[in-house]
Amino acid sequence: MKEFFLGRLNMHALPHEWFSVGGTAGFMGLFILAAIILTRTKRWKWLWNDWLTSVDPKKIGIMYFIVGAFMLVRGGVDAIMIWLQQALSSGSSHGYLTADHFQQIFTAHGNIMVFFVAMAFIFGLINYIVPLQIGARDLASPFMNTLGFWLYIGGVVMVNMFFAFGGEYAATGWLAASPLSSIQFSPGVGVDYWIWSLQISGIGTTLGAINFIMTILKMRAPGMSLWKMPLFTWGSLCSMIMAVIVFPLLTATLFLMFFDRSFGTHFFTTTGGGDPMMYTNLIWMWGHPEVYILMLPAFGVFSEVVTTFSRKSIASYTSNVLGMIGVTLFALSVWLHHFFTMGASADVNAFFGVMTLFIAIPTSVLVFTWIATMRKGRIRYDTPMLWFLGFIATFTIGGIAGLILAVPPADFQLHNSLFLVAHFHSMVIGGVLFGIFAGLNFWFPKFTGFRLNDKIGRYSFYCWITGFCLSFIPMYILGLMGATRRLDHYDGATGWQPLYISMFIGGLVIATGVALQFAQILASYLQKYRLRDETGDPWDGRTLEWAVASRPPYYNFTVIPEVTTRDAFMAMKSAGTVKTVYEDIIIPKNTAAGIYIAIFAFFAGFGFVWHIMWLAFVSIIGAIVVFIIRGFHDDSEYTLTAAEVEKLEKARIAKAKLAVPGKYDHTDEDMGLQQLIGISYTFLIDIVKNKRWRTW
Amino acid sequence: MNHHLHPKGSGHTSERGTIISYIIGFALSLILTFVTYYLVDKQSVSGQTLMVTILGFGVLQMLVQIFFFLHLGRGPKPLYNVVFFGATVGIIMVVVGGSIIIVNNLHYNSLAPDQVKKVVDDEAIYQINGHETGACHGQYANHHVSIKYGIITPLHTQAKKCDTLTFLNEDTVSREITFGTHPEHKAYAGDSYVPVRKGLSKTITLSEAGSFKFHDHQQAEVAGDFTVVP
Amino acid sequence: MVKEHVLSHKELHEEAADDRVMFGFWIYLMTDLLIFSVLFATYSVLHTRTLGGAPGSALFSRPLALTETLILLTSSFTCGIGMIMARQRKQAQTLVWFGLTFILGLAFLSLELREFSAFIHEGHTLQTNAFLSSFFVLVGTHGLHITSGLLWMGITLGYIVKRGLNAPLVRKLAMLSLFWHFLDIVWIFIFTIVYMGAYT
Repeated sequence: MKEFFLGRLNMHALPHEWFSVGGTAGFMGLFILAAIILTRTKRWKWLWNDWLTSVDPKKIGIMYFIVGAFMLVRGGVDAIMIWLQQALSSGSSHGYLTADHFQQIFTAHGNIMVFFVAMAFIFGLINYIVPLQIGARDLASPFMNTLGFWLYIGGVVMVNMFFAFGGEYAATGWLAASPLSSIQFSPGVGVDYWIWSLQISGIGTTLGAINFIMTILKMRAPGMSLWKMPLFTWGSLCSMIMAVIVFPLLTATLFLMFFDRSFGTHFFTTTGGGDPMMYTNLIWMWGHPEVYILMLPAFGVFSEVVTTFSRKSIASYTSNVLGMIGVTLFALSVWLHHFFTMGASADVNAFFGVMTLFIAIPTSVLVFTWIATMRKGRIRYDTPMLWFLGFIATFTIGGIAGLILAVPPADFQLHNSLFLVAHFHSMVIGGVLFGIFAGLNFWFPKFTGFRLNDKIGRYSFYCWITGFCLSFIPMYILGLMGATRRLDHYDGATGWQPLYISMFIGGLVIATGVALQFAQILASYLQKYRLRDETGDPWDGRTLEWAVASRPPYYNFTVIPEVTTRDAFMAMKSAGTVKTVYEDIIIPKNTAAGIYIAIFAFFAGFGFVWHIMWLAFVSIIGAIVVFIIRGFHDDSEYTLTAAEVEKLEKARIAKAKLAVPGKYDHTDEDMGLQQLIGISYTFLIDIVKNKRWRTW
Repeated sequence: MNHHLHPKGSGHTSERGTIISYIIGFALSLILTFVTYYLVDKQSVSGQTLMVTILGFGVLQMLVQIFFFLHLGRGPKPLYNVVFFGATVGIIMVVVGGSIIIVNNLHYNSLAPDQVKKVVDDEAIYQINGHETGACHGQYANHHVSIKYGIITPLHTQAKKCDTLTFLNEDTVSREITFGTHPEHKAYAGDSYVPVRKGLSKTITLSEAGSFKFHDHQQAEVAGDFTVVP
Repeated sequence: MVKEHVLSHKELHEEAADDRVMFGFWIYLMTDLLIFSVLFATYSVLHTRTLGGAPGSALFSRPLALTETLILLTSSFTCGIGMIMARQRKQAQTLVWFGLTFILGLAFLSLELREFSAFIHEGHTLQTNAFLSSFFVLVGTHGLHITSGLLWMGITLGYIVKRGLNAPLVRKLAMLSLFWHFLDIVWIFIFTIVYMGAYT
């Protein structure tokens, strides 16, 4: 009976180790703190109506960013823990982590950084910027977008749930290497948490991707042909098409693994005729393109940044677009290079090796178009441009390391070494993350109405790039010296410890960079009058997102612009054809259906993890019922009349005029770190001395 | 806006035309299904040829249904759905074809047969993919061969298949047990060389039946033999 | 005058939305095809691994597979005719043709379930070997799609009876008929590769 109701769940599953107790307490503490603040400030209703149930892609984009930033810290703590263990655990010392716990940490680090940080930031940017860039008022299916977002949140909760129930995550590497991940060798719930966090958020990604393809292909402003589309939109389109192709493969593969673990089937098992190598084959069919799904929108960001800050249009639009399309096509034919050493014949390995080398061609075309854009440009070195320059250096180093790995004989030496780890970190940090940060600095005025503090932004960039070099150059060297990845201990005689310590120090420097980014946002907020963006076009931008106010109204455009050329807004500015006429606008209503479905999906996953089949069954039924109700609910839109739009627009302009300088806005330049620390200090002292927490 | 130009749905095609197209599609699909069934029933060709043939008819029927039932390609331009369908078919070919080629290739190359024999014997893997490997598993008798002052006792060991044989080296020098006659050695059950350090022992599993000689490679006169009956 | 303008604006908006939704649904179908492609790939790789158990040729009944195929093919045809009726807003005929489709779908499903239960009864279960695992999951996933199609069809027909055949419901039927045709196309390959392929 107990088994029926609770499945595998029992008292032993509750937190009892230092990290699970700490993790649970930490998360609970955060939730309680947030709840207290929301209650005291009477903002629950505001949170629910204005944010959680919103279908506005701009708000959903910002929510993606907030959760992504939170998970960046969460995954960053994992990274520091890994590096600390490796710096300590040499020779007779065995560090502070057990081997099993160490394995769980690097698995969680990989999953969180790829799925819940990079994907979140990329989706955040696409949500906010793509509709604005193509001159659309909302997305093709606003409901599907919220559903995708909330399924992503379901995945985020699932990946952290092991702290409270079970106390173990998968110890199998970020792609759950088979047969290690089979029930025979990983009998705990860790791998099940892995399966369901990826499954739930992965389905969300597929839905989001379908939605963006519909939006980009069907909702562009009149006159904007595919070949006049902004490059970020092109990057997003390529990325979303790839997501639509490969995420279903992930979904199916995860289901097969779930059947293996829960229902005793024999797909990837070592017994009963199963084939673990089939798993490796299938998972990399998704795993390799996944990296490009993250990379392509970042390429788009760099194209926007480099053109704006070089004050030129892109050197060769056609080559750039064809480069991105080329990457998309090639990305689907290289997956075997992740398992050259598994034992395929020389001819098969050679084919995939050559395909992998080919992919360097469109990628270098992209790099060359950016460099050529800078040539003879009047370059401004604002923070977005710094991130771009950092990207060019790290990405080129990482890319060349990738070419070395693409040669099968070299790969037999380097496979599973730290050289590989350094290579993909060069790509995802130097490429994806730097792209996201460039985009954040670039579009922040659009998100909030004020620019980001330039001074602290620079400090943060310098920390990141220094930390990156301190961490990953030693990592390349260690890899060449023979250090394999995922080592929780190594012999003292290897002499590797100084390099591992350098990696740890680099990690701390990067952490400082992250802290400075939060400081940057705080400092900009304190000086938001000084940094305010009145025109909606702070950088002399070239594309349509700069044609609307910062922040844009929820219907984006009062008038849908007519597009005649590339860099549409630049052309409009020089021709002076930015007009204002008001018209009726049809707007989607808020909906909480996405939240309910995601909650049901989460509980279904939770039920499957713990073998509580009634819970899983009931939850699936619940999700289907909500979906049907929503599907047959026709009243999901309302019309804003031209008069109402006019009133809203006038009110917005009037409000902007009323803006007054805040307490810290009197200085002539961006606030420095010292001043920020001073302010925070006085603020904290004030709270403590005057016992302000009592009056909240 | 460009969607102003779209005809409303695809209801503009005439009703009769559409019904006729459905009937044609239905009839063609029926024919193709029966042809497939007949070919398999009759078995006039078989194996790979038959598989490729019926798969061809399957693809043909898919095209028939795409054209006559789904009317793909007759919608408003641009024909994004045709592009997406074509791309998907391409990807499916990569996924299915790629998997089959790669996994079969991996299997062919995974392990050479003699290595498999050694590994399954050493690790006592008694089945792979459900097939009995012939490896020994479970409890069997153990036999001792002691080597002291260069003398082997007993000189001859009689054992059953899957029993174990322990070489006990009570000498002051290390022994390297090899099989067959010196100097042309033969491997026994994948093992060609069993080193036994002084004062220690080594155990092998007698997984190969027959009569075998063994001797110390360093000192060929230290020799004995054993017989394994199945 | 103003009101008329609002209406046409809204109509245009809805027509464009219609076009988008159908396109989005088409992309969804493509993702579903890719899920099936993984299952087909797995079946192709694993179908020889029977562990000495019965291979497909000893298990499958060819006439049963043919019957299932014919039923599903016919249902695809009736569904198409039903859709033509729906586009012309002929409510009664729409209900009849889709009702026929529903019954045929139900017949298909019951045949499939009977086949499965017979296998399980004889001891050929999901857990027996890799061949049966991949068979049950591939054919079962198709069956699950048929089930959800039937559920969707039942509810939509219920709404047609209740609300009358209006534009949103015609759109739902259009998506449903796409889905149904597409399931038939997937079944062609299950019939060819799994059932007929077992005898090659």
